[in-house]
Amino acid sequence: MLVAACVKWADLRPEVDPVHGTVRSTGRSDGFSEADRAAVEVALGLAEGWGARVAVVCAGPPAAEAGLRELQAVGVDRAVRVDLAPDQPSEAVAASLAPVLSALLAADVVVCGDYSADRGSGSVPAYLAHLLGAEQALGLVGVAAHGDDGVAGVRRLDGGRREDVVAGAPAVVSVEGSVATLRRASLAATLGAGAAAVEVVPGRPDPRAEAPRTEPWRPRARHVAPPEGDDALDRVVQLTGAFVERTPPRTVELEPAEAAQAVLDQLRAWGYLEPPGRPD
Amino acid sequence: MSNVATPAFGAPDFDAVVVGAGPAGSAAALELARAGRRVCLVERGPYPGAKNMYGGVVYGRILDTLLPNWWEEAPVQRWVTRRQTMILTETAATTLDVRNEAWGRPPYNGATAYRPDFDAWLAQKAVDAGAVLVCSTTVTGLLREDGRPDGKVVGVRTDRPDGDLTAKVVVACDGVNSFLAKEAGLYPTVDPANYTVGVKETIALPRDVIDERFGVRGDHGVDIEILGCTGDVPGGGFVYTNLDTVAVGLVLSLPELSRGDQRPEQLLARLKAHPAVAPLVEGGDVKEYSAHVIPEAGFDMMPELVGDGILVAGDAAAMCLAAGIWLEGVNFAIGAGAAAGRTAARAVQRDDTSAAGLAGYRARLESSFVLADHRRLRDAPHLVMGELAQQKMPRVVNGVVEELFTVTNPDPKPRLRTILRRQMKRHGVKWRDAVKDGLRAARTFG
Ligand SMILES: Cc1cc2nc3c(=O)[nH]c(=O)nc-3n(C[C@H](O)[C@H](O)[C@H](O)COP(=O)(O)OP(=O)(O)OC[C@H]3O[C@@H](n4cnc5c(N)ncnc54)[C@H](O)[C@@H]3O)c2cc1C
Repeated sequence: MLVAACVKWADLRPEVDPVHGTVRSTGRSDGFSEADRAAVEVALGLAEGWGARVAVVCAGPPAAEAGLRELQAVGVDRAVRVDLAPDQPSEAVAASLAPVLSALLAADVVVCGDYSADRGSGSVPAYLAHLLGAEQALGLVGVAAHGDDGVAGVRRLDGGRREDVVAGAPAVVSVEGSVATLRRASLAATLGAGAAAVEVVPGRPDPRAEAPRTEPWRPRARHVAPPEGDDALDRVVQLTGAFVERTPPRTVELEPAEAAQAVLDQLRAWGYLEPPGRPD
Repeated sequence: MSNVATPAFGAPDFDAVVVGAGPAGSAAALELARAGRRVCLVERGPYPGAKNMYGGVVYGRILDTLLPNWWEEAPVQRWVTRRQTMILTETAATTLDVRNEAWGRPPYNGATAYRPDFDAWLAQKAVDAGAVLVCSTTVTGLLREDGRPDGKVVGVRTDRPDGDLTAKVVVACDGVNSFLAKEAGLYPTVDPANYTVGVKETIALPRDVIDERFGVRGDHGVDIEILGCTGDVPGGGFVYTNLDTVAVGLVLSLPELSRGDQRPEQLLARLKAHPAVAPLVEGGDVKEYSAHVIPEAGFDMMPELVGDGILVAGDAAAMCLAAGIWLEGVNFAIGAGAAAGRTAARAVQRDDTSAAGLAGYRARLESSFVLADHRRLRDAPHLVMGELAQQKMPRVVNGVVEELFTVTNPDPKPRLRTILRRQMKRHGVKWRDAVKDGLRAARTFG
């Protein structure tokens, strides 16, 4: 049996220009986020309980190998770096990780951090679960082994409520950084880790991947029809919507699928999404 | 921290353990590795230089023998071609301005550099030579032979699980306030009066603005040392130019600071608002505020440098030279670290790392600039931190200059002698004290 942790090499403290919002990486503070380190600790804990082996997989640049060796010093049996250019979309990252997890490692349970430190969306675990055909339990705030190969987790819900979830192998879970603190490596293991081997496999860059974003993220512009009317005041009144009755906020209680549809409809109504049939 | 027992048998893990990957530690590890010894360099920060701060200028001459042509690859910000010594009162400034284009060409003189860059570069040289670098690992104590408190030092204990590391010799380069030197019993007493605290702001400004404000071009930079800018607290100030940041800071007497009601950041804000300094730094973004203790008293506070199985180098042995117009610690740390590394390598080769086997370290330092300069300038820190230099001299100097250059027509110009006498009287400087300190200064600096 094998438990795999997926980790992302990211700049944990990039410099952000307060005026322009440009993000500059110095390379000095590169590492794995607290959520990813928690994922490794969870993987180690689960594997200890099951007598399983632990592998760690990182889709990232060669610099990540130093970090992977440190993880080997804390007890990870096997480290694989998937050679992938930075700033790939989540689909491409998951598409590169999935064959490694299934074919190369034959992982039964995959543990990820719930989001990456560099503005990631946290959607890689969901894509992975989809590609691996695995059960998923994402954004967990507590994890424990469930039986011989399952994971029992606690998920945060709105309003301070919690949800207990169980995922059976093959499973992909993602955890918050607060779930566990990564153990410290012994001195002997740290000294030995310098020579540890990191396997490198080529990634699958997404040919459709957008060019790396260089400006801060902003919501898509909304199309607004020009105001009508001959009088400037009329047009300003129309533009500001000063005398227009507003749609009051509404609370809906729906099944998840219907709720998702309602959110999409509303976003379309506001102009943030294209109407159905046209590409987003 | 405690003295811990060690196994009585078994080969040590390394020939030498060097604690601290600052300039002293990396130089020591480099020399040990080059001599073919198995050396482990232990650093508490996540990478060398992560924990370190200073004003900003490295004097690289000491690197000539260690790393020939170091200037071709060292991570330098700017080469210092302009040095100023500024004497301030609240509203006035008198500046000695030295410019030397030769300092901007190989083999250069001083360079501004960021410590995370510089320390990581130097540590990598030690690693390239064969040293094993372990980061994120704090040494928490010394291992003694047979666990006896007075036994020979035979290694270190770290904060990692199973964290004992045995070695034939330990080189303590753990910086000011060295736990290891204290635990080894090498510091007889620790007097806070011997320490200052340095505070610094790193202020971002566009490169061309720095060039324009400081009157330099290309990769040339400026080093300004300042006296009379610390109010009632004895100390001094500095301004250094990096490529697109300016470092502005103060060095302040620790006991006076803790006694008075002035906070370092208030004093620093006052320096930044001074009419001679404000135009240099205004409009910039403060990117970083940092503080660090300095072993100010130099030769007079140095510990024993050698113990049974242990050597101490750099700030751990109070080797920073803080003598008013000079604030040099990195070059002294490299010089001492290299000497410690060479001594340790020889002692390991002769299989005698006892205090007697390591005694050559002191002799090496005495014959180099490290102890020669410290011995000659031992009075300088006391002179610079004294009342005359701190409070009265800046007022007299600025008063004299003001009178000298204020045109008083229709009165005739006063004689310099008259002005000096008048200013000394106004600021309560007695001829006797001035002559006494003048002679001390002549003996020290002359
Ligand atoms: C405000 C200020 C301005 C200065 N300006 C200048 C200047 O312009 N030019 C100049 O030459 N000098 C300057 N200095 C002095 C200079 O910084 C020091 O003299 C120099 O850094 C000493 O080097 P070192 O290697 O002995 O110690 P450090 O540079 O202090 O390095 C000690 C290393 O040991 C590590 N360490 C400490 N304890 C442990 C432990 N228990 N386990 C593992 N690792 C440990 C630390 O993390 C650190 O990396 C300045 C100092 C200050 C504070």
